[in-house]
Amino acid sequence: MSGTAGLGAAVGRLFRGALSLLRSGRRRTVLAAAGVLVAGAMAGAALTVSIGLGGGFDRAAERSDLPDIVARFSGQDPARIRARIEALPNVADYAPRTEISNVRVRAADHETGKGALQLVDTDARRGYAIVEGRDLPRGGRDSSDALVEQGLARSWGLHVGDTIDVGRLGEVRIVGISIAPDNVAFPLATAARVYLSGPALEARFRGRLRVNQALVWTHDRSRTDVTLQQARATTYGVGNLRFVTRTGVRLIIDQAAGVVVALLVAFSLVALIAATTMLASQSASEVARRLPVIGVQRAIGVPRGTVAGEQALAAGLIGLVAGGLGVLVGALVIAGPSSDLLSALNETPPGGALVLPLAGLTLLLGAIAAAAAGWPAWRAAGRPPVALLRGGTLVEGGLRTRWRVRRELRADRRERPGRTGFLGLGAKLVLARPGRAGATVAVLGVSGGVILLMLGLASLLVALRDDPSAVGTRYALTVRAPDGGVDAVRAVPGVADAGERYEVRGADSFALGEPVKITAFDGRLDRFVNPPLADGRRVRGPGEVEIGTGLATALGLGTGGTLAVQLQNGGEARFRVVGTVRALQDDGRVAFARPDRLLAADPGLRPDIAVRLEDGTDVATVGPRLAAIGASPTKVGGATTSNKAFLDTLATVLKAVAALDGLVCLYALIQALALTARERRPTLALLRAQGAATPTVVRVLLGAGLVLALPGALVAFLLQRLVFSPLVSQLAAGYADLGTAASTGAVLGVTGGFVVFAVLAGGWVARRVVAEPPVHGLREG
Amino acid sequence: MISARGLVKTYGAGRATRRVLDGADLDVAAGEVVAIVGRSGTGKSTLLHLVGALDRPEAGTIEVAGERVDGRSERALSAFRRRRVGFVFQFFHLVPELTGEENVLLPTRLPGAPRSAPAHGRELIERLGLGDAARRRPHELSGGEQQRLAVARALVLDPPVLLADEPTGNLDEASGAAVLDLLRSAATADRAVIVVTHEPRTSAMADRTVTLVDGRLVASAHGAVGGA
Repeated sequence: MSGTAGLGAAVGRLFRGALSLLRSGRRRTVLAAAGVLVAGAMAGAALTVSIGLGGGFDRAAERSDLPDIVARFSGQDPARIRARIEALPNVADYAPRTEISNVRVRAADHETGKGALQLVDTDARRGYAIVEGRDLPRGGRDSSDALVEQGLARSWGLHVGDTIDVGRLGEVRIVGISIAPDNVAFPLATAARVYLSGPALEARFRGRLRVNQALVWTHDRSRTDVTLQQARATTYGVGNLRFVTRTGVRLIIDQAAGVVVALLVAFSLVALIAATTMLASQSASEVARRLPVIGVQRAIGVPRGTVAGEQALAAGLIGLVAGGLGVLVGALVIAGPSSDLLSALNETPPGGALVLPLAGLTLLLGAIAAAAAGWPAWRAAGRPPVALLRGGTLVEGGLRTRWRVRRELRADRRERPGRTGFLGLGAKLVLARPGRAGATVAVLGVSGGVILLMLGLASLLVALRDDPSAVGTRYALTVRAPDGGVDAVRAVPGVADAGERYEVRGADSFALGEPVKITAFDGRLDRFVNPPLADGRRVRGPGEVEIGTGLATALGLGTGGTLAVQLQNGGEARFRVVGTVRALQDDGRVAFARPDRLLAADPGLRPDIAVRLEDGTDVATVGPRLAAIGASPTKVGGATTSNKAFLDTLATVLKAVAALDGLVCLYALIQALALTARERRPTLALLRAQGAATPTVVRVLLGAGLVLALPGALVAFLLQRLVFSPLVSQLAAGYADLGTAASTGAVLGVTGGFVVFAVLAGGWVARRVVAEPPVHGLREG
Repeated sequence: MISARGLVKTYGAGRATRRVLDGADLDVAAGEVVAIVGRSGTGKSTLLHLVGALDRPEAGTIEVAGERVDGRSERALSAFRRRRVGFVFQFFHLVPELTGEENVLLPTRLPGAPRSAPAHGRELIERLGLGDAARRRPHELSGGEQQRLAVARALVLDPPVLLADEPTGNLDEASGAAVLDLLRSAATADRAVIVVTHEPRTSAMADRTVTLVDGRLVASAHGAVGGA
């Protein structure tokens, strides 16, 4: 009992000591809290987006009861399809659906001809989730009830209770808003989904609907492949059959979000490292300032643990309170954009699932702050009290100092005082604390490296969006064959080459869930496509194929293997794999070949013409000339033409994160200079006593800032070029060559930005320094 | 050279307010060394700081070498300090990262410093026998050497007024005597020296000693307040 009471009293004393420390230096406490708050905000924002995107698909899939397999085919009798599916192994449940595409949908000021009506069997499982309003009732007979997908509702400002016009059906009333993560949301996906009750429409139009989709839920998701193999064997008579699996959808979405998640996780780590180093340097400075006080404490018998404990507890309290507040602010600030991003992917925000990770992050910040403060105090309290009572000296004696003095003496013989003298003095003031200077340079380097990475990725995304050559495509346009055929196109000024192109989509014959896109050209393929070769050789003849690394990984296929593709007409084309290429489009699930085998499997295939332009010629110039000969051109996009808006959003998010990261750099510089100015208050006061005006003080602090900022920029460049860029390329898309290295412009921009930050930080701190009479600083000497 | 009239300075606020200077007057002529003495906390250093434009009085006027100090902008005060005043402090205030010579030459790097100032500074170092100390950094020097370097720094721009705050307070007898000799010799025909001190040996060196009592200066030895 007495032991417990003693412990309680000790903890109480520790708390009182910590609180008194915080009260005794309110401005220092506020500065430290501001740093933790900024770091907490960034880490909180990054964690929120990471968790949101990381688990978004699984949450949405569970919530919407996403089927394990979606089969699409040309219209069939529902009873026939039901019989076929019920005969398959591992099938737990099944729902038929009819999709009617290209329906005109209209609401108030909005209209699209790309409406996709989903006629749902209201007596079966649905495969979507209701996020607002109510679902279509079981056995519903009201054909004027409709659900709209969330993307459409958001984009057009629709609410439950509103009405929309749907093709020949006329006006229907929105009773609910839904999501299904089997595709991205409208308008990223061009089709606007509207769900209606199939039985109600059958009753209204007195007919029987033919189904063209089957939603299948399996007993064992890991054995979906078996179900698919069997399904393929029993598909006779079912035309245009395509399968999409839940795993396949997840893979594609994960790969799209993978870049962002990897970056944000890296950014969270950067924010935490920045917070740790900033806290550590701040704490070390605080302990150095308090050395005589610690000496007195030790001299009168205060235990070493109590001295370190008070310091750790005070910093830990700041870490918990300011860190918690920062984490909350970061999470709230990013919640909106993160939710928009998730909505664009048809995914749901994590909601309450965020609470625990954010609380954990807050505790981590508190622990980091406590450790960063406790350790230097523990070390300091271990020194003899008499040494502490003499106070901390900024320049220690010993071998290192003697070496430095000799070096400076040599330098001194060469140098004479000049206009840069005060810049140099500032540099020396900062370098007097090599640990802190190194930590600040590290923070600047890591943060700058991340900024360069973000800018590099943003540029890459724009290139992927706009520039076909970024994905190894050498042709800029495709055209429908004009009367004169390929020769007529070749004759158009500005056209370097033209050739017939066949592009077909199919599925791997052995793993039907794996989509494959085959692009075929007559003659040498590298006239039109030249993705980097990862293995093997280029295609030289018929029956050979180069496959993307993404496809090779998914199918476990390599050079020398056989690629068998089931085409949409039901035919099969087989190729011998002669090489793998680092192709980015379609997640690397592409293949390049000559057209012979494709035409043998599907004689009905019709080519278009790929057009390669001469160097220096642009699409806008050649396009009208092609149109004039009757060859209406279509511009070839980058990675994917249908997801331009999404890539734009991603690029914007990356640039925003880079801007936030810039704030870390500015804060790190301000903090380093503020601590230097605080520590060297007598020196700066002395300068002013000798007649130095504000510009001289600014020059000293600018020198201090530059000696941190310029090496920081160099470290940033090296880190980005040698570590971050290769690592992220590998993490995000191992199937392609991602040119994530920042451009020279970005490197110069970041270096210039660091210099501007040094000027801003120097100016701000100098303003604070000259705001007090010099005599105040001199009293501290 | 120096004329201060009716100086008032208070510290603290509310019930804790303390008026350390309450209408203090001071006149110092060129070539004169004046020692200001008084008990601790009577405002000796404060008076020195006001005369040197390191702080501002709440009331009163100060004129140094024909230039008014009171009521001027911080920028003007910076220029004034650079041209008119040299300071010597009890704790030397040498910049630890700089060598002795760099410390002495620090004021010569300020904008507006004469071009000849660095050469003058080196000459001063030689004249004061600080050649060896000038090559070392402060932590390698004795207190006496540090303070002599600080005096050299104060004189490097050849100011008409030298202000010293307890210049021997941290020194042993021999070192203190060397510093006092320097200060004495600094009081040339165009320069006045004011020394704040507790020590009898310092006031004994001065031409005149004034005592600060209840916020005002009263004459002690060697002369009277208000003139040489």
